[in-house]
Amino acid sequence: MTTTLSRKKSESSRGVSQWALAWRRLKKNKVAIAGLGVVGLFALFAAFDGWPFVLTRNDHGLFAIYPPECIPPACAGGSLSTNAPPSLSHPFGTDSYGYDVYSEIVYGTRAAFVIGLGATGFALAIAVSIGLAAGYFGGWLDNLLMRLTEVFLVIPFFLLLLVFLQIIIKFSPSATGGLWLVVFIIGAFSWPGAARIIRGEVLRVREFEYIAASRQIGASANRILFRHLFPNVLHIIIVLATLQIAASVLTEAAVSFLGFGAPNSYTWGQLMNIAASYINQAWWAITFPAIFLTLFVMGFNLLGNGLRDALDPRLRE
Amino acid sequence: MEVEVKELTKHFPVYERGVILRRRIGDVHAVDQVSFQIRRNETLGLVGESGSGKTTIAKCMLYLEPPSSGNVFFEGKNITEIFKKAKRTQVLAARRQMQYIFQNPYASLDPRMTVADIIMEPFEVHHHIPRDQWLNRMYELLKMVGLEDYHAERYPHEFSGGQRQRICIARALAVDPKFIAADEPVASLDVSVRAQILNLLQELQQKLGITYLYISHDLSTVRHICHRVAVMYLGKIVEIAETDELFDNPLHPYTVALMSAIPVPDPKQKRHRIILPGEVPSPINPPSGCRFHPRCPRRIDICSKEEPPLIEVRPGHWLACYNPWPPKHVFA
Amino acid sequence: MYTDPILRVEGLRTHFYTFAGVVKAVDGVGLYLNSGETLGLVGESGSGKTVTAQSIMRIVPTPGKIVEGTIEFKGKDLLGLTEAEMRRIRGKEIAYVPQDPTTTLDPVYTVGDQLTEVIMKHQHVSKRYALNKATELLRSVEIADPQIRINQYPHELSGGTKQRIAIARALSCEPSLILADEPTTALDVTIQAQILDLLKALKEKFNIAMVLITHDMGIVADTCDRVTVFYAGQVCETGTAEQVFEKPKHPYTEALLSSVPSLALRKQKLSVIPGNVPNLIQPPSGCRFHPRCSYAKQVCVDKDPELESIEDGRSVHCHRWKELELKSAVAS
Repeated sequence: MTTTLSRKKSESSRGVSQWALAWRRLKKNKVAIAGLGVVGLFALFAAFDGWPFVLTRNDHGLFAIYPPECIPPACAGGSLSTNAPPSLSHPFGTDSYGYDVYSEIVYGTRAAFVIGLGATGFALAIAVSIGLAAGYFGGWLDNLLMRLTEVFLVIPFFLLLLVFLQIIIKFSPSATGGLWLVVFIIGAFSWPGAARIIRGEVLRVREFEYIAASRQIGASANRILFRHLFPNVLHIIIVLATLQIAASVLTEAAVSFLGFGAPNSYTWGQLMNIAASYINQAWWAITFPAIFLTLFVMGFNLLGNGLRDALDPRLRE
Repeated sequence: MEVEVKELTKHFPVYERGVILRRRIGDVHAVDQVSFQIRRNETLGLVGESGSGKTTIAKCMLYLEPPSSGNVFFEGKNITEIFKKAKRTQVLAARRQMQYIFQNPYASLDPRMTVADIIMEPFEVHHHIPRDQWLNRMYELLKMVGLEDYHAERYPHEFSGGQRQRICIARALAVDPKFIAADEPVASLDVSVRAQILNLLQELQQKLGITYLYISHDLSTVRHICHRVAVMYLGKIVEIAETDELFDNPLHPYTVALMSAIPVPDPKQKRHRIILPGEVPSPINPPSGCRFHPRCPRRIDICSKEEPPLIEVRPGHWLACYNPWPPKHVFA
Repeated sequence: MYTDPILRVEGLRTHFYTFAGVVKAVDGVGLYLNSGETLGLVGESGSGKTVTAQSIMRIVPTPGKIVEGTIEFKGKDLLGLTEAEMRRIRGKEIAYVPQDPTTTLDPVYTVGDQLTEVIMKHQHVSKRYALNKATELLRSVEIADPQIRINQYPHELSGGTKQRIAIARALSCEPSLILADEPTTALDVTIQAQILDLLKALKEKFNIAMVLITHDMGIVADTCDRVTVFYAGQVCETGTAEQVFEKPKHPYTEALLSSVPSLALRKQKLSVIPGNVPNLIQPPSGCRFHPRCSYAKQVCVDKDPELESIEDGRSVHCHRWKELELKSAVAS
């Protein structure tokens, strides 16, 4: 007679997982929570048109957002004002083109997330595959993959980024196309560092007896990689991801500020680039993007550091 | 499960790192031409210090490391060949027959999995019982090792060392093995907990009919749980006998020194100890002839020249030595 | 200048303030030691013996704090000293031999550097003098070719040699008291015998008082003059080795002695201490051992017993010691 039992989950029996423990540790780290708060605020800011300062496109009250193709007051009627200081209708002022700096910053926030998440996602996809494979299988595969990694590390990433961008942008000048190109190139050159770190962690976890125990049960390499190794290296990947998001955004800002960025993309770096020559007349046009950039990067860095402490396996028991 | 090990050898190459390629400069002779048998439902103890090769033998038997040469037979079937050929179905069937219990219970359980998942993993790999029976069987196994139902949803770090070792044993039993190699299963545990685990292992042997290979450097636990004992030094077996026989009449100078080195919990018995000079030599360049001769208090001329063969000197008592201690020489 | 005992601890309480709660690692420990004597601190993990030693040297790691108690060394109360004064005592008057020889030596400095560092710091002598002294020290711990060893790095040496160097380092400033924390646990059995012999010889030669922490009853019986048994942060009983082994007065001591398999005794049924070591954040009410004690009565659940003195140097922490006739596993 067979009976199907449901898993006997009751209050007293539920266990406390490593993730729960890590979350507890993270909560105690005030700085990390501050970072998390900043990141959260930025996310909301980007998603809801600058929430909590939400207003619709046509409402020209305080903190209104203007659409990118519309130079106010050409859409709204009225006279163009370039390099206007902060006022009620333009809380962060306008830049030399007459665009509302606040709206541009909101778009910049969205662009930052696109760059951060896009480049990081791309980079980590490669890094995790290479790191896991090299670390677990070792031997000639490890050798090969690590030499490949070193090739990428040795190439002067930044210069190549600039050159590539210029060449390719000549062929596809549209705004979003350019931005995705930047994402792609930043991702393509950020993976080596992460791959090496992940491989190092895989090498460490691989020596634990529970991996050998699974192997002697008869588990296939696939099962060990995905069921055992990956969850136990995930903590490193999470930390790398947060830090890489910050780094990617900063890189793109640097590239754009130097004038090599994708034109017509509303990143903070671009804004600073445009506003640089007018810094004496309109300090607000460059300062506010700089402040937002700084806060964004700092938020992710603080969060990343806090996560690293909270997830550190050595602090576990 | 009758187990036979024939001329098992394992050498680990030692490399020197070059710029791109590396050069092999020597070998660690971990295990050299070791042969022995284990009878059905018997516990064979494998005793030795670090560098003796006892863990390596167990790993080679279960093919966690491929042996350099030699074969292992389970009930007459050549397991080593099966693993070498690596046909998935046969390999899986072979793995079901034998299991390994690791020394460090703090590292043998995946910290990200619940106890239930850990014990059921073998079911997922082998599918040897139907899926709707998995939970039932898992709770049965928990009970068999002395744990409770509610432990199933907990994580390894919430348990003590002794409990973790029980979970490892439950996981090992999940495939219904007939042979278990236990590598120092109680060395990392508190002294008062060791008895619990040792008793559990014996109970399971009687109830389920399992053959054990019990590896340890601790002669006292070996004496308690093993039917026969093999003493290893630097990759070779130097003496094998039934437990009582070995402890009453240890003949090999190394065995005698090992026994006398262990402090006895009785303040009155401050007996004369044989202290071996020097350290255990490196297995990369084992000494010529008998590997123990540089430290041996009974060394004679031939010992440095020729390796002594393992021969039966008393009934059931095998010895590899040219100049052993006489029987009944040693202290209780 | 002072009268024996050279070390006296009374009412020591060391608590760890963790986010899970206050771990009462040491809760009311008292012990004493005369010069030239070896006191064994025996207990399992979590019993508080290591924390007691750390408290004596005032190197308790955060979040631990010594909450209460007196620690008198040569008549001085150590808990009243400033950190600077304590530093003059550590290494010079009280030395420490830690458990793991592999991590206790800094891998980037040679043996000579590490030994001379200690010597020069405490004795304000030249490097050349210190080097000579270091070489002499290595000779006194029976290391062959000390002039060669002194220029070697730790990774080039075996575990036994490293532990000898750790002992040499402890001896370098001629301390009056050595705290040895499981000095042989990480070593092979035959090497352990060498080290224990060495410690005994050094103790005789230099007349040093030693506190030896261990979980191995055999080592206690072999090397210690007096014994203090720890359980869950408290002392169970104290006495000479003969007294404690032959006529234990505390149920835990009795249980410990009979649950440990040993070579001295014929194969006996291993009795098991049921249950687990208690949680020190919320220890059991009354006597901490009562949940696992086969002699527990209601008074044991309600009240924590006092450490009662039976005779000179013999005390026990149990309500029922007068009535209980405890068996010794080694009674002849």
